[in-house]
Amino acid sequence: MDLYRYRISGALLLAASLLFFAATGAVAAIDGVTGTSFSFTAREGVIANPDGSVIPIWGYANGDQAVQYPGPTLIVNQGATVTVTLTNQLAEPVSILFPGQKVTATGGASGLLTREALPGGASQVTYTFTASHPGTFTYYSGSHSDLQVEMGLVGALIVRPAGYDPQNKATWTAYGDARSAYDTETLFLMTEMDPELHYRAGAGLPADTTGFFPTIWFYNGRAAPDTMAPAGAGWLPNQPYNCLPQAHPGERVLMRIIGGGRDSHPHHTHGNNFELIARDGRLLESAPGASALLVADAPVFGTVPDLAVSNFTQAVIPGATYDTIFTWTGQGLGWDPYGAIDSACTDADHDGKDDVHGRMCHDASCTDTNGDGFDDASKEYCADHGKPFPVRLPGQQDLTFGQFYSGGPFLGSAASLPPGQGGFNPAAGYFFMWHSHNEKELTNNDIFPGGMLTMFLVLPFGTDMP
Amino acid sequence: MAGASVFFQCPTLSNPGDPGSVIYNGTFADNVVVDGMIRADQGEILNPVSPRQVCVHLSSGDGFVNMADKQLDPDGNGMGHEQYMFGFKNITGIPDAEAMLAGMLAAEFPAPTLKFKEGDEVYLSLTNVGMMMRPDLFDPHTVHWHGFPNASAIFDGEPMSSVSINMGATLTYYYKVIEPGTFMYHCHVEATEHMQMGMLGNLYVTPAQDGTQKSFGGRTYSKFAYNDGDGSTGYHVDFPVQILGFDSNFHDQHIAVQPLPFAEMYDDYPMLNGRGYPDTVNPAPLPNSFDGRLSQPIPALITANQGERILLRLSSLSTVAFHSLTVQGIPMQVIGEGSRMRRSFYTTNTVTLGGGQSMEVLLDTQGVAPGTYFLYTTNLDHLVNRQEEYGGMMTEIVIQ
Ligand SMILES: [Cu+2]
Ligand SMILES: [Cu+2]
Repeated sequence: MDLYRYRISGALLLAASLLFFAATGAVAAIDGVTGTSFSFTAREGVIANPDGSVIPIWGYANGDQAVQYPGPTLIVNQGATVTVTLTNQLAEPVSILFPGQKVTATGGASGLLTREALPGGASQVTYTFTASHPGTFTYYSGSHSDLQVEMGLVGALIVRPAGYDPQNKATWTAYGDARSAYDTETLFLMTEMDPELHYRAGAGLPADTTGFFPTIWFYNGRAAPDTMAPAGAGWLPNQPYNCLPQAHPGERVLMRIIGGGRDSHPHHTHGNNFELIARDGRLLESAPGASALLVADAPVFGTVPDLAVSNFTQAVIPGATYDTIFTWTGQGLGWDPYGAIDSACTDADHDGKDDVHGRMCHDASCTDTNGDGFDDASKEYCADHGKPFPVRLPGQQDLTFGQFYSGGPFLGSAASLPPGQGGFNPAAGYFFMWHSHNEKELTNNDIFPGGMLTMFLVLPFGTDMP
Repeated sequence: MAGASVFFQCPTLSNPGDPGSVIYNGTFADNVVVDGMIRADQGEILNPVSPRQVCVHLSSGDGFVNMADKQLDPDGNGMGHEQYMFGFKNITGIPDAEAMLAGMLAAEFPAPTLKFKEGDEVYLSLTNVGMMMRPDLFDPHTVHWHGFPNASAIFDGEPMSSVSINMGATLTYYYKVIEPGTFMYHCHVEATEHMQMGMLGNLYVTPAQDGTQKSFGGRTYSKFAYNDGDGSTGYHVDFPVQILGFDSNFHDQHIAVQPLPFAEMYDDYPMLNGRGYPDTVNPAPLPNSFDGRLSQPIPALITANQGERILLRLSSLSTVAFHSLTVQGIPMQVIGEGSRMRRSFYTTNTVTLGGGQSMEVLLDTQGVAPGTYFLYTTNLDHLVNRQEEYGGMMTEIVIQ
């Protein structure tokens, strides 16, 4: 324990408190800009990091809004004709590439890879493509890319499948059928930064990218613990996106992962395996519709494409995108993660709450009418229902408690903690760290913890998302 | 030291047959420990709470190991560069009153291999013995079973969402092992530091199908990587091989009580199973130069008889980089990754693993001439022990 860690744990507390007291609804969908016609401006800006560093960036701004890192997440519908008009306020030509799309570029000046917008706002380029295929894609500058992408000219493109209706959960899929259905989705755009390059380029000095040496790492443009702060937080005006996956037991979490920088990163999910169902916007299927029904080794409920790969760590390669489905149930723990059966509790309507008093409680029933082994409503694993907690925990003086620990081992029932410990898990969920497993990348300019790290929250059945 | 807080927890029934009569300080027959574990199915637990109960006791603390640059001999001790480390030690069977002493300065690299069987109910006690050489530190520790399916927060070992164990005390983890596969384990407290410092080890689970006979490809197997149903993952000998490395600057700064160079982290001692080549192929446990303890007990030498199938249980706990591994002269059939059997197998000559990835690879030695073959990283700059060349992340496969 040294001074650095005391500093950073203060920052973590701050983030956690904001997570639970400032976050607002609509967490099930990814933040971004929707529509068919977009106007981007490439501009200079700065980002602020948890270590106190303020780093110059070049980013795409949506219209005349704040420049941002990463660029605005474009969320469009399958079949739409999408136009992105780019204005350049940087000192060198800039452009946008849309890998995986058939793009027509007009205006501006011709560049090596595509047409470019010239400096000073004098010329505009318009990129037009038909979003023919649903999925997760990326976009980034095709001009002086070794520096410009590092500087922040990179973003995500999400194409919603035909039939997607944000108001109708039954239509929420990544690729248009049940194999990619989800209950919540989160973007993980993974980038890294060499601040020295940014200070030089930001000052108009030559920046030699061959000496690239990153010292800070990001999910969606934020380094931990800011990954867990609210989206649109006022003190992060140029980093509007957070990275805060959460779900109830049994729900399907769609992770849309993008290798946005120039390094590869192993993205690890504590809590369970996931199923990799698509790569670069294409389902991993041997034939259209081919699916695997997961039973014995099911980390997820339902089906996945037949060539899906189960794993606990996804290697994320520069420029590639990955869609994965994650589900957590606590299946097979050998003890009841909801704790002892509450004999004073009657929950005939299976909403996780006492029918009379409305308090959260865990009654004697586990109702599995469809025979999948789980309670039909709560997705509790019935074979472990009522099984006692298997070990004796040490006394409080012998333990150090994490800020995201509820005080007890049971989902949905918090327990008391020593003063000043824990305290940021009022719903008594289970938190699981999702992070780069090249652990060096869990630092912000020499300070641990930070970097490519966030927490996935399993919310107890019957609790709402914050 | 609060010796009273050391508590190797291997619960038993005070009244055999009565599941309600659990006592947590039961008795066990520690005179028959042969595998570093106390197992009910080997008759080592009196009145076990489950016929598949397994009890293990690890200590966490510090210690020293020496690197493989024994030719250059940078420290002049003839044993290679001495490195301070954090690590685990298997102290199963040692009485609670002696556990602290047994764990002090006893860190091993890599951590003791944990090998379980599908169906086991594991009680893993972790006693934090403290860091003798860094008395200014009061770090807690954990065990994180990396890849455990449907984990709980309390037994996940990730300290922000859970608990970690303070010096002088014991925390017991419980794992009902319902899936076979190649996992790994490490301490997750201040993960970048504790993992770079060496708190890493092999962990794998053999499937329930083991012990049955299945014929596949003209050969009959009784050991399998997974419950494949058809013998397609059958093997004769298996070897866990873990990618890891030390950044000598980080370790040297640590023992010098200097600020830790996270941003500069670079493993100039790339290793397999805690050793650089040629130490990887030395079958003996290796002593350190600090106090002569055998702190590197695990070789990475792979041996088989011609015609056998070798299962490599590959994992990476590098804190820095992706690595590719290749086997010269023997095709590599990838049959599983991330502790799951692949839905389709493929054959290759290289596999790539970042930190936290695992993979099962079959090497079929049928028709392979007896001799020595090499398993090494194709990140060729990692074939060094810092200044000494012809070393690093490499080992040998000897076919007899
Ligand atoms: Cu982790
Ligand atoms: Cu891990």
